[in-house]
Amino acid sequence: MNKLTLLFTGILLTFGSAWVGLVAYPVANLGHMQPLPNEETGGVNPPTVSGLAIAGQKVYAANGCMECHTQQVRPDPFSTDIAKQLGKRQTVPRDEIREHTPFLGEYRIGQDLSNYGARQTDVAATHRHLYAPKSVTPWSNMPSYSYLYEYRKIVGQPSAHAVQGLTGSRAPKPGYEIVPTQQAEALVAYLLSLNQNYPLPESPEPTAK
Amino acid sequence: MSNDQSSQPDTLTSAERATLDASVAAPVILFFGTAIFWLLFGSVFELISAIKLVWPCFLDGCGIFTYGRTSVVSINALAYGWATPAAIGIGLWLTARLCRVQLARYKSLVAAGIIWNIGTFVGVAGILIGDNTSISHLNFPGYSTHILLLAFLIIAAWAIVTFNQRKAGPLYVSQWFLVAGLFSFPWLFATASQLLVWKPVQASAQPAIAAWFAGGFFNLWLAPMGLAAAFYLIPKTIGRAVNSHHLSLLAFWSLLLFGAWSGTSRLIGGPLPAWMASVGVAAGVMMIIPAIAVAINLHFTLDGHYGPMSWSPALRFTITGVSMLVFTWTFTAINSIPLVNSVTNFSDITRGLNLLGYYGSFSMIAFGAIYYILPRLTGKEWPSSCLISWHFWLATTGVLLGVSVLVLGGLIQGYALQDIGVTFRSSMEFVFPFRFLAALAAVLIVGANLAFALVFAGLHWSLRRPGTAPAFIAVREENSQEPVAV
Repeated sequence: MNKLTLLFTGILLTFGSAWVGLVAYPVANLGHMQPLPNEETGGVNPPTVSGLAIAGQKVYAANGCMECHTQQVRPDPFSTDIAKQLGKRQTVPRDEIREHTPFLGEYRIGQDLSNYGARQTDVAATHRHLYAPKSVTPWSNMPSYSYLYEYRKIVGQPSAHAVQGLTGSRAPKPGYEIVPTQQAEALVAYLLSLNQNYPLPESPEPTAK
Repeated sequence: MSNDQSSQPDTLTSAERATLDASVAAPVILFFGTAIFWLLFGSVFELISAIKLVWPCFLDGCGIFTYGRTSVVSINALAYGWATPAAIGIGLWLTARLCRVQLARYKSLVAAGIIWNIGTFVGVAGILIGDNTSISHLNFPGYSTHILLLAFLIIAAWAIVTFNQRKAGPLYVSQWFLVAGLFSFPWLFATASQLLVWKPVQASAQPAIAAWFAGGFFNLWLAPMGLAAAFYLIPKTIGRAVNSHHLSLLAFWSLLLFGAWSGTSRLIGGPLPAWMASVGVAAGVMMIIPAIAVAINLHFTLDGHYGPMSWSPALRFTITGVSMLVFTWTFTAINSIPLVNSVTNFSDITRGLNLLGYYGSFSMIAFGAIYYILPRLTGKEWPSSCLISWHFWLATTGVLLGVSVLVLGGLIQGYALQDIGVTFRSSMEFVFPFRFLAALAAVLIVGANLAFALVFAGLHWSLRRPGTAPAFIAVREENSQEPVAV
């Protein structure tokens, strides 16, 4: 192998084959997916999400939530995700179309979040969890996202958005309140929008064994 | 032993070598020096992240130091601040030597080095202030990746010009790997930046591209550059030609083909067409071929000549790195088997494999190469054999400890995550002691990098006492093809 041209052609072919298969093919075949009509509700699957939830994707990315949380339910026999009730069916490409970046994740240092919104619908509880994880789950090793909240003295009327129900050492002192910033509101809206409990023809729910 | 001429690194005289080395000195020293700064910076952030996994209250409640940012900063500072510039420095020096061309216009390369470091700085700062893209190994915000690509294009243009001016003769193994690496990196980086960051395609198409990039970053960029260095340094230091031309060919082409396709094996069961994951599994398992080809080829090259490892830091680091590269690919092959992957996926084993690949293999080879190259560029000897010895043992112990506890802990965690009867809480509690030991390994690695930074500073600012002997780790026994001192 003494010729640069021969070497170069070989590299082009091997490298190019993977580029065609793993880059060009998905862009052409998976890059223009549409939601499917939902006959029951008259809406679409996956459902449209609020602008605030879309803004929350940026907060999720910025704080590296993906470093500890996956967002993918894998089918049998590659995993026991469905038996462990992380979701009712496997995650497929169409589930990702509302995302800017798919936060599939590489680690389960924390729980899978593909269906967080199916397990949790309470905004205040989610705020409490983000502000002081240990006050909600004592054994949690999740860091506190208190920097997305403002700890301030109540002047006049207390804020209607203030985080309610904090107990223990992380509760605000009397006369003080903890108010979520725009980022915290967006992050909570995004987390609560994570819910893959809608039918997609390409991902049927496995029948019970 | 093959008599093929392309198994010989080069047949230059020492005067010719010195002229070639002098012509690349300024940019190569710049790339290595800044790389060592980012190495230290990245490993400190790795340590912070490892501590935070054990004690989440460490530096808690502060946006800049939240785990999701520190761990990403460490990975990206090491990938773009340390590993890539180190690979570029090695590549520039090897290109000049193997093409036997004196470097013209070195100022454009110095400029590229400065631009590259500005890009890295902007990227790291961007992550810390909250512009992380959350794409594995491409977490730098879009505004910094433009700067990085610009710097690399200057370097690639220089490499093309130099390869065209090369003195006639067969291409040596290292040159194949150099061409492959220098060609793959801009293609990988530009494709992924364009399709995932600058003008992202629909998210449903992104997982395969992101996996292709993350796999290619190691297998098609860092591994080829490391092997280019190893296939030059090992024969050079022991004064023997590479054992088998055919095994070199096999290692090269199998790495390129399977390395390019193996990325998607990390997405078994994930949201992408099943055939893509299957191809990734097949290619991932086949990574055993380059692993075996490299291992056999270099072992028979070194057979009976392992002695210089006792005194030559360059050889000791390089051989350790190559051995760990063989282990990395072997583990990758095992980890790509779906039955294994269903246990190991999402566990700490992934962290262990990253540590083995990026630090244990690529960084160790890069250390070896820097120990070989810098005295020849500066005309000075390393200041302290004691520090070099500390560097080697801290790094080796750190990697071995880190990888073993992450793999063992990851296995237990993986089984717990998979078992329907075990709660998530238990998976965390089982892995806790292993994460504690992993934090200890991170301390050792910071220590190793500190020793390396000190020894570099000592060389750069000429702190060696005049008149003392060159810094070999032990008494030198055998003659190499080339004197270690210039």
